[in-house]
Amino acid sequence: MFLIFKRLWQVNWAEQWQYRANLLMYLLYWLVSPIIYLAVWTSIATANGDVNGFTANDFITYYMVLLICDQVTSNIVIHTFGYKIQDGSLSGELIRPIHPMLTNALVNNVAFKILTMFGLTPIWIILFFLFQPDFSSVTLTGILLSIPAMILAFLIGYLQSAAITALAFWTTRVYSIHEFYFALILLFSGQFVPLPLMPQVIQDIAQYLPFQLMLYYPIQLILGNLTTPQIIQGYVMTGVWLVISWLIFNWVWRKGVKKYSAVGA
Amino acid sequence: MHSLKLIYAFLKMNIQMSLAYRADTVVNILLNLMWLGWELLSLNIIFSNTQTLGGWGIGELIALLGVFRLVNTLMIALIWPNTEKFNQSIRDGSMDYTILQPANSMFLVTFSRITVWRFWDLILAVILIVIGINMSGDLITAPQILTFLLLALSGIIVIYSLWIVLIALTFWFTKFDNNVTILQALLDAGRYPATVYPVWLRVIVTFIIPIAVATTIPLQALRGELGFMQVLIFFLIGIASFVIASQVWKAGLKRYSGASS
Repeated sequence: MFLIFKRLWQVNWAEQWQYRANLLMYLLYWLVSPIIYLAVWTSIATANGDVNGFTANDFITYYMVLLICDQVTSNIVIHTFGYKIQDGSLSGELIRPIHPMLTNALVNNVAFKILTMFGLTPIWIILFFLFQPDFSSVTLTGILLSIPAMILAFLIGYLQSAAITALAFWTTRVYSIHEFYFALILLFSGQFVPLPLMPQVIQDIAQYLPFQLMLYYPIQLILGNLTTPQIIQGYVMTGVWLVISWLIFNWVWRKGVKKYSAVGA
Repeated sequence: MHSLKLIYAFLKMNIQMSLAYRADTVVNILLNLMWLGWELLSLNIIFSNTQTLGGWGIGELIALLGVFRLVNTLMIALIWPNTEKFNQSIRDGSMDYTILQPANSMFLVTFSRITVWRFWDLILAVILIVIGINMSGDLITAPQILTFLLLALSGIIVIYSLWIVLIALTFWFTKFDNNVTILQALLDAGRYPATVYPVWLRVIVTFIIPIAVATTIPLQALRGELGFMQVLIFFLIGIASFVIASQVWKAGLKRYSGASS
């Protein structure tokens, strides 16, 4: 098994490296929104002194950490896998004795992530000097605790996106469904603004959804804003959602592969 | 007149193509409404925490959202589909046939694909602008409306020209497939007044990828914040950028040698 993953890694790393210009463009595309939110909210906080207790520095540190968390926990499986189901090129992968979604596509996504990290690092350092955040509340324990939380949150998001991608076995409109899923993330993850500034209804619902585990929770962990019970609660939620996401994905995938009939088959 | 006839023909062709995907159109319109809901909610969240944003109230921000959606429609209905077709034609050499046709090649390349159903987005944008201005309670005079229309048009021309330059670069670098991603990436900056951004970001969205020229500045004109000289300068920038873009296009076309020759 280890050998299989090693070989998959070599192939996918080489493939992603080949598209490094694309990768830079993706990075740029994905960086702009958080920077704009940062600029908007710091401008409001500076003008009013603070926003419900959030100072300008709170916003700067929040979005600066968000850039990293988002990069770790997000995934692109819909773009790298959806078309394979639609044009039938999945057939070749299905006859291999390994799960296409949980080996090849996953490794591909991780290779993509690590390469974009290389691109993000210098940009992040430039932004650090431009905005000069005060990171004094960050603790080493917080960072160490956030790493497994983010990896598990990535797996939750990956399994959910993979389940949506697998809907391509039935419908050609998976991209629209995924766009809707993406809007849910935007609404409930704390991507637009720290969750306490959202309307109360959204905060109440967000508590029970997996999306805040991908951004808001790890950001707060890193910034050292959580009490021990809150940290434990977050980990428990992560565990529960990981199991739920796994069950959903497995169910959709099994049904889908049975339904699958490739072009020309 | 000749080009009007061509646009009419392109429209007819594109309507026929989109009629084949009626259900998709319905889904897309629903998604579009969902995003409008999100945009209004996000403005509501911002203004439940503050009175003004860079000196603008919620009414002005809704109007700005309308102007932003005009540019966004240009992007989605015209720029993306035509760029896709253009990149393909450079790769496989079918650009040859476009050049052979007895019409301006720049015109053909930029108008032959139109996502027709997006027109309803333009109506929505105008509604947002009108409602926003009404909510803001600003007193708008006829000359202000005129300068707004003038600068909005000039801003759209600036974006259009930048697009021409970006795709013309493909003549020099054949593998330049990401030619308009940079435009799309910075587009989001048009949702908020450029005055709230830090200086370096303001410089980028005003001069390098001038999204703000098509969003913030026309709205400033509508609110009567711009003097005569400023209006004149931004209008001249529109004309100049179009002239430069046409020259770059011509130079690029000379470089084109087909895919097989």
